[in-house]
Amino acid sequence: MNLLNHPDLLDRLAAAYGLGTLRGGARRRFETMARQSATVRTAALIWQERFSSMTELQTLERPSANVWKRIENLIVRTPVVAAQPKETAMLEKLRRGLGLWRGAALAGALASVAAIVVGVNLGREVASRDGQLAQVQQRGTQLAAQNVQLTSQMQSMPQIQYVAVLADERSAASMLVTFDPSHKMMTLKRIGDFQEGPDKSLQLWALMPSGGPKSLGVLGTQAVVKMTAAEGEVREMPALAISLEPKGGVPGDRGPTGPVLFKGPLLQTTL
Amino acid sequence: MAYELQDLQLIALIERIGARHLSGAPAGDGEAALRVLYDLTSSKLYGVALRVVGNREWAEDALQEAYLNIWRIAGDYKVTLSPPMAWMGVIVRSRSLDFLRRRASERADAALELDDAISETVAGDSPDPMDTTQASEQAWALHECLRKLEAKQREVVSLAYLRDLSHSELAEQLKLPLGTVKTWIRRGLDQLRGCMGRFA
Repeated sequence: MNLLNHPDLLDRLAAAYGLGTLRGGARRRFETMARQSATVRTAALIWQERFSSMTELQTLERPSANVWKRIENLIVRTPVVAAQPKETAMLEKLRRGLGLWRGAALAGALASVAAIVVGVNLGREVASRDGQLAQVQQRGTQLAAQNVQLTSQMQSMPQIQYVAVLADERSAASMLVTFDPSHKMMTLKRIGDFQEGPDKSLQLWALMPSGGPKSLGVLGTQAVVKMTAAEGEVREMPALAISLEPKGGVPGDRGPTGPVLFKGPLLQTTL
Repeated sequence: MAYELQDLQLIALIERIGARHLSGAPAGDGEAALRVLYDLTSSKLYGVALRVVGNREWAEDALQEAYLNIWRIAGDYKVTLSPPMAWMGVIVRSRSLDFLRRRASERADAALELDDAISETVAGDSPDPMDTTQASEQAWALHECLRKLEAKQREVVSLAYLRDLSHSELAEQLKLPLGTVKTWIRRGLDQLRGCMGRFA
């Protein structure tokens, strides 16, 4: 039947489609028709839009203050991002010695101080005698400001105390995990090119010394995933593993159902 | 009108968040804009999350996910042409549904503390619980039309959408016969179609 000749039926189907109660074969047939006809497509979009404003009619409720604090913690940019180009070399260091994470960030900070000192020296050479003193004074002020900034950066820098490199069977590193107890924040960074399919999710597990694996959460598809964890828990985890699961992950109590793709020991860093 | 002014304010905030990586954006401006956006909208969006997941703890997690999502995709807002509250509402609903699907199998017996209130609404004919604070023009129209439905029809239609439930899932959650749910949804939708058509 051609829906275009039955506007009332089209509207009824489009409304049920927008609401989400049109299911199964009826839904698939409607979607096929929508792809073929702009009229059907428009009717569907209009109802989707109408129902989407249902979210605007819900009653107000104030969430607890913790929600904002958690959001704020997760969006604060950390100097770790600035250390990215050194990551490959970093990984080698992590494999051999571990615990140089903060060191590298510190080295970066010192390097920028050094650059400013060089700047001061060059400035002296080209400046006229008269201007010299004023210029040096000005640079001095800038250096002082820079020091204040660096100090505050150091304070907000994550205190990484645990690191794990999760690798596949061929020992190719695929996921870098760091844990910052002061922010209770576990950060997972994809470093290989593995990307799960649209119907799959990666799930992170702690391999505990006794009992089965414990689910720590399901990873989103983004390159860097942050999740909260308590230090007490993390301290007891000897190793971490990532399994491939159906979209959304599996219940934590029965352990992974899919293959374990990456795993590695969790090591405490020395500061 | 007041909502237009408010929409402009929200749009400006979303655009500042989206522009935080562009050169010339003041340092920390995106973070500051997100804070203001959160203050203006979190109560409304938390109401949505709460309605979808039915439990405060989960709703807070879903709300957190939603704002992180907004933080990441604010740059794409402009192309959607949606009113800002509707756009954010869809994000909160999606993150809440993700959350519900993840948790459903994990803790199937977890108490849905707020669902008792829903059962009461469906059983009786309690007054309209909708709230039009921050509602766009389109939401106003939907509000006016939903208001004309019987409370139980309004409730099943709202839940079907907000929780993305099929007829049989609705019947199961509300402990109603499948035939009853189908009838209420059909009548509710027929009335809505007549009513919304007048606003088009």
